[in-house]
Amino acid sequence: MELQNEITVSVRINGTQFTAAAAPEESLLEFLRTRAMVMDVKCGCNKGDCGTCTLILDGQPVKSCLVLVAQANSKEVWTVKGMALDPLMQALQESFATHGAIQCGFCTPGMLVTARSLLADCPQPDRAAIKEALSGNLCRCTGYKKIVDAVAAVAACQASARVQGGRCRVWKQQ
Amino acid sequence: MSSFAYAVPGTKDEALALLNELGSGARIVAGCTNVLPDIRAKKIAACTLVDISKLAELKGIDVRGDRVIIGSLTTINELLHSDLVASHGQVLWQVGRRFADPLTRNRATIGGNLANASPAGDGVVPLLALEAKVIVASLAAEREIPVAEFLTGPGRSALQPNELIVGVSFTKTTAMRSVFIKFGMRKSMAISLASIGLMVGLDGDRVEQVRIALGALAPTAIRARQTEDYLTGKPLAPEVVTRAQEIIRTEAKPISDVRASREYRVHLAGVLLKRALEAALA
Repeated sequence: MELQNEITVSVRINGTQFTAAAAPEESLLEFLRTRAMVMDVKCGCNKGDCGTCTLILDGQPVKSCLVLVAQANSKEVWTVKGMALDPLMQALQESFATHGAIQCGFCTPGMLVTARSLLADCPQPDRAAIKEALSGNLCRCTGYKKIVDAVAAVAACQASARVQGGRCRVWKQQ
Repeated sequence: MSSFAYAVPGTKDEALALLNELGSGARIVAGCTNVLPDIRAKKIAACTLVDISKLAELKGIDVRGDRVIIGSLTTINELLHSDLVASHGQVLWQVGRRFADPLTRNRATIGGNLANASPAGDGVVPLLALEAKVIVASLAAEREIPVAEFLTGPGRSALQPNELIVGVSFTKTTAMRSVFIKFGMRKSMAISLASIGLMVGLDGDRVEQVRIALGALAPTAIRARQTEDYLTGKPLAPEVVTRAQEIIRTEAKPISDVRASREYRVHLAGVLLKRALEAALA
């Protein structure tokens, strides 16, 4: 069996194939930020605690600092930027803005990716389920309440939008 | 040039041949939730990363006769979504929602949790309660090791450098009630200060059989055998529970570390036993 000191990795990032050489111990996060120059995936703790580097791999949200880039070879990766045209992501972004669910903004890409994944799988989560789903994403500004409010508002809006067949727009509850 | 090398075997036999050849120069990687932080912290130096994540033989959850067999590459999230685990190994299923956090659960594997052999490992506590066996393969043979013998010390296991954990198996246990309680500093992403996995067969409030596994309360996850022996055959009356708490506090042999003192952990052993018994009775 071949032992490789340098590997070639090809990843489909937000719909575009990207191929580059990488080190065997390189994480998907390092690869994205230093080789593919995908900067919307943030590097916070780099050891699996903070969740700012969350992206979608194999259809699931994962912390990309905990993924060996070699294991992402021939796979598809979606980051928050790649979901810019996705209606659910847009609804979440709008809701984060209207709820002020953002302070320094560093955790936001990861929060959005995790929240979108939750609402795609489970359109009607209660607050406890939202908190649990987001529990791997840390907000150092501790603005958790507004983040949960923002996600809950989209969940509620999705429910009524389905009934009315309209697009989900979120307005802050006064 | 990196001091690490990478190899991705396509079959179990290929992986075993490679481990045989490389010996302690190999490091098996799958979910990487422990390995990547350890590489970054320089706890793991130059080695060949043997990526087993493609091995189909190590995936899936199966029932054979009265045994449930879980492939070592099964993620914690897959355990959480398995009806087989929920009905036949409930205490393992109960751990799912307390293990790390939802994002990490999508990558972390049950085999990795065993190999890591942390005294605080949340995955190994229910496996001890289930009297599970670790299925370990080498080129020469396959052997089954009871979890209690597999765990030999903090971060140490009976796994040899030429061996690979292929799965874990336990006997279906539908008749007993199961409780898992993790005591951490947060609800999520916490390392257990102490944890308990309880399986108990009750006749009314009388204990017919009981298995108690403890995490982060000794150099490895342990069974509280003396407490089990004391409780067997007795009704769960308040004075019996109080005496059982005293016994379990003598069985716990924890250390002091950044998360908690030895004394606090000993105290927790009693508290968690009481809470677990109450939950089983409820």
